[in-house]
Amino acid sequence: MSECRASKAEKIRLACENKDLACEEELIDITIDGKKLKIKKGTTILEVARSLGIKIPTLCYHEDLCIAGICRICLVEVVGMEILQASCSYSIEMEIEINTHSHKIRKARRHILDLMLANHVGECYSCIRNGNCELQDLAKDYGITEYPFGHPNKNVKPVDCSSMSIVRDMDKCILCRRCVRSCVDLQEVGVFGVKERGDKSYISTFGDRGMEDVICINCGQCVNRCPTGALHEKDQTEEVWRALEDKNKHVVIQTAPAPRAGIGELFGLAPGKSLTLEINTGLKYCGFDKVFDTCFSADLTIIEEGLELLLRLKKNLTEGGDETLPQFTSCSPGWVKYLEHFNPKYTNNLSSSKSPQQMFGSIIKTYYCEKNNIDPKDVVTVALMPCTAKKFEAAREEMCDSGYRDIDYGLTTRELGKMFKEVGLDLPNLEKSQFDDPFGGISGSGVIFGVTGGVMESAIRTIYELVTGKKIESVFDEGKIKVIRGFDKIKYAELIIDKIGEVPKLLRSHFKDFEFLNGVTLKVAVCHGTANAKRVLENIEAGGEFSGCHFIEFMACPGGCLGGGGQPIPTNEEIRKSRAMAIYEEDRDSKIKKSYENPAIVELYENFLTDGPGGDKAHKLLHTKYITRGNTLT
Amino acid sequence: MEKLKKEAMKRSLEKLINKYSLEKSSILPILNELQDEYGEIGEDLMEELAHSLGIHPTEVEGVYSFYSFLNKKSGKHIIRLCQTISCDLKGKKRLEKQLINELGIKFGETTQDGLFSLEHCNCLGMCDRGPALMVDKKLISRVKPSDIPSIINACKNNNLDEKFEDTIISNVQIKGPLLKGKFEDGEVIKKVIDRNSKDLLSDIEKTNLRGRGGAGFPTFLKWKLAYKQENTPKYIVCNADEGEPGTFKDRYILHKHCSKVIEGMTIASHIIKASKGFIYLRGEYFYLKKIIEKTIESREKNKLLGKNILGMDGFDFDIEIRMGAGAYICGEETALIESLEGSRGEPRNRPPYPIDTGFCDKPTIVNNVETFLDINLIFKNSVEFFKTYGTSKSTGTKFFSISGDCEAEGIYELPFGITIEKLIEKVGAKNIKAVQVGGAAGRCVKAKDFKNRIAFEAVPTGGSIILFNKNRDMLEVAQNFMDFFVDESCGQCTPCREGNRKLSNGLKLMKEGRCSITYLEELLDLAETIKISSKCGLGQSSPNAFISIIENFKDEILGRLPKEESNE
Repeated sequence: MSECRASKAEKIRLACENKDLACEEELIDITIDGKKLKIKKGTTILEVARSLGIKIPTLCYHEDLCIAGICRICLVEVVGMEILQASCSYSIEMEIEINTHSHKIRKARRHILDLMLANHVGECYSCIRNGNCELQDLAKDYGITEYPFGHPNKNVKPVDCSSMSIVRDMDKCILCRRCVRSCVDLQEVGVFGVKERGDKSYISTFGDRGMEDVICINCGQCVNRCPTGALHEKDQTEEVWRALEDKNKHVVIQTAPAPRAGIGELFGLAPGKSLTLEINTGLKYCGFDKVFDTCFSADLTIIEEGLELLLRLKKNLTEGGDETLPQFTSCSPGWVKYLEHFNPKYTNNLSSSKSPQQMFGSIIKTYYCEKNNIDPKDVVTVALMPCTAKKFEAAREEMCDSGYRDIDYGLTTRELGKMFKEVGLDLPNLEKSQFDDPFGGISGSGVIFGVTGGVMESAIRTIYELVTGKKIESVFDEGKIKVIRGFDKIKYAELIIDKIGEVPKLLRSHFKDFEFLNGVTLKVAVCHGTANAKRVLENIEAGGEFSGCHFIEFMACPGGCLGGGGQPIPTNEEIRKSRAMAIYEEDRDSKIKKSYENPAIVELYENFLTDGPGGDKAHKLLHTKYITRGNTLT
Repeated sequence: MEKLKKEAMKRSLEKLINKYSLEKSSILPILNELQDEYGEIGEDLMEELAHSLGIHPTEVEGVYSFYSFLNKKSGKHIIRLCQTISCDLKGKKRLEKQLINELGIKFGETTQDGLFSLEHCNCLGMCDRGPALMVDKKLISRVKPSDIPSIINACKNNNLDEKFEDTIISNVQIKGPLLKGKFEDGEVIKKVIDRNSKDLLSDIEKTNLRGRGGAGFPTFLKWKLAYKQENTPKYIVCNADEGEPGTFKDRYILHKHCSKVIEGMTIASHIIKASKGFIYLRGEYFYLKKIIEKTIESREKNKLLGKNILGMDGFDFDIEIRMGAGAYICGEETALIESLEGSRGEPRNRPPYPIDTGFCDKPTIVNNVETFLDINLIFKNSVEFFKTYGTSKSTGTKFFSISGDCEAEGIYELPFGITIEKLIEKVGAKNIKAVQVGGAAGRCVKAKDFKNRIAFEAVPTGGSIILFNKNRDMLEVAQNFMDFFVDESCGQCTPCREGNRKLSNGLKLMKEGRCSITYLEELLDLAETIKISSKCGLGQSSPNAFISIIENFKDEILGRLPKEESNE
């Protein structure tokens, strides 16, 4: 993320806190609501208030974004100043006295709210964010019972439904610019901008194009940070309900790890509790014929992608080949589209393996149908994903190698939560039920796909054990590869292949031995959020340290899938950390922690993909191609 | 044809990208030049420009659509009619009607043949010679409705320049120490070059000089804080974005006394140790660019600008002119800096302040044109000399731009502390019922308060004085000011963007006699909120005119209210 502008004092404080500078933090005395205390110089009024449990309303402010200071709802009084100050942007540099509530402040906030409502078209009942809207919450907190400056109900601007993933309803926009900052600063994609000036100003895309026609990666980070219903995912629940009601259709769903770790938040639970098995019960109640775990295809991805890496390494290390390295992961559809747009020359670096979602769809419409004697045309595949981009991925033309669309519908965590609520399910209190066969239950390596660093960790677990014959636990305590865990922007790790083992049966069609890896230091990197991805790509371009990597995990969203655009709103680093904890707990409690040990995987290669990983059949069904999209629209 | 034009535009863009640096700050100059040359900038060019500068096309489009002079595709000739108050008082509406009649289009439209576009614009700075038109790059003042056909014909025959003389005429009515006396390029720099910054700062402190832009921040303090910054390079910005309705003194100063201003800037650079300066000139004053360029050139030749000024090692100072493009808000110093950096001219949060985090996050001082003139005067003469003018809290003289209902409109250099009454007398005005002091952002003073003095401690002003006689409808005046702010607000903060719109609508209701007293009270309350809750000086001062006019002329305005029923 590009650096935000901050006051000198704030910069110094942050540098001290991050230990970028060896410095002593300066403390100053302040008074806030009559309470005297010492704070670090360069702290904002809002930060101080929050640390004391004083609630100051905010709208344009978001923990993940640069400060804008534009909605003005967070105004407070600094004694001695006639003008009220925005607490989010006011960093304290000297001794001051602050009041966070007074008649003057309440009146100003109330007016600002009145003004927003006067320009916020529509009513709450018919809004997708009813009950989860920051503007609605404020209207409630401030006891709004009338609209002194009016409140229009008739829609004025057309709703843009052109995108497979994201819907824009600008009547509901309050111009807080969180979407602009999410897209421009946080993700560095740049779909949104502010146009015109004064009361004519509005948020739009380049040339006012529809979302389908702009360079959008569908990551949905704008949706996650929109305080109102101006941005939301394309709702496909009706289509899914219709399929469920259709007696001729066999409807199966796969659930990804990240939604399982997030969905509880929609039912009032604190972030950090996975409801994996409760969801299974709920899905059956809704009428799904089978419920599968995406972990299965995550493990499948590791085998195919891992093999691909080993083959690239072999060519480069022994045959003087010029196979493209580093290999990039390809399971984040937002990231894939980012690369196709902004750096298409690197698409050869992308692993050709499909994402777990698509692999699963492909296997269901072939292997599963064969095995259960079902005509694939009668099968509807649904995927529960934390992601808005997965909707787009499912609709990619090339994703139908079985002759049918791999995935028919992608549902976000929020959409499924809505379906459950519609049928009156109290998800957290449902009984638990297991996943359906033949794809088995939770596997630890599949689960951690949901968090940044997870794909890499799973890959290392499997590759290391397959190549060396040693247990990963001999190198990393409990097999936890901590260097690539956590939310650092870009993570880097090295692992020496200190010993090589016999080639396991699974890979014998590709390798006689692993001699080419003997003593090799495997270099890997992990990054999340496309702004960080951009930094890594720039580094590779400049021949920096990442150009020497062998394998790099890229995730479009901050925190990885658990921070996906389809996850419950709100999001912030604390929430994402809690979700990560829940995911790592599932890994800890799982019996299978390594992809190649997943019995369902073993069975698949024995009975269906009989020419093994990377074989012709696997290539037909489990691998894909990429497009050069480029970054021009005109 | 279309294709050829596109190719030509592409080539021009490439040239411009080479001419300016590959930095975001080049956006505005490049867009300005392209717009001048082709009258429009297509999406393809914006995209290409964005890619060359490594930013997103939406950012370029955001900048393009922010400024009035860029903004849209228009006809071959653009006729811009100044719609601000002074021109309004002098018959703008009649011109408006005549233009519509002659061209058969409304404002904001282009004729079928693509020859003419009609647009409104805000303050052209010809307030003493209203009503004013800007036809393409030609400024025409004191236009009469009967002139319209010949203007249109001149456009068609491409002989506008022959038919209409340059009207950059300034009516200087009273000269004071800033204008009187001889000045030789470099004479003041020679006086200060051997003195150190602290010493010079202490002189400025003694004069009690306060910034002339309107806010009146002590110049000494700003410069001292900038001087103390260790971060380099430092920048000096001369704010020549004179956009306040009713102000035109900077136009005159830069036209006739440009060298003195630059001398003042150079002294500032010597004091705070800045190596680069900008003159941010409003787009409406495009014709001054050449004059300033010439002055810079001649001063460079005389070793008064550039490297090692007057042979002093390390005394380097360059000045670049940057053009605005029709956005009043860019007169706000942080918006100006954003504009310089190539962004939309939207004010920043404070802190941080420009003195430590200004242009490109480097220490920057932004001062009004007139302030630099004062600096020049102080060091040419003495602290004592300067202090002989004005009051103890408002030292020196001030340029007043006087327009409206009076005989001698024009520029007056007078000491601070003069009463409004005296001013009215000097300009030969009769039957004055109200004086707007400080432009649209200022306050309306009623006859009873004409004894008040104009000074920072009394009635402050950046120089705009507009007089209204007893025949004027103050509701219309208020409407003009509010519409100005609705237009010129940058649009980022809620109270200013949404609130001013409500105030403006409220005035319309009042005019139609559909506004209840209850709602009027609500609006006055809202106006107070806008003042204390907006992000920048524009928003904070935008309701001043509304509040003061309604309060001072309640009887005149309330007369139009329905007696009983309330519609809102």
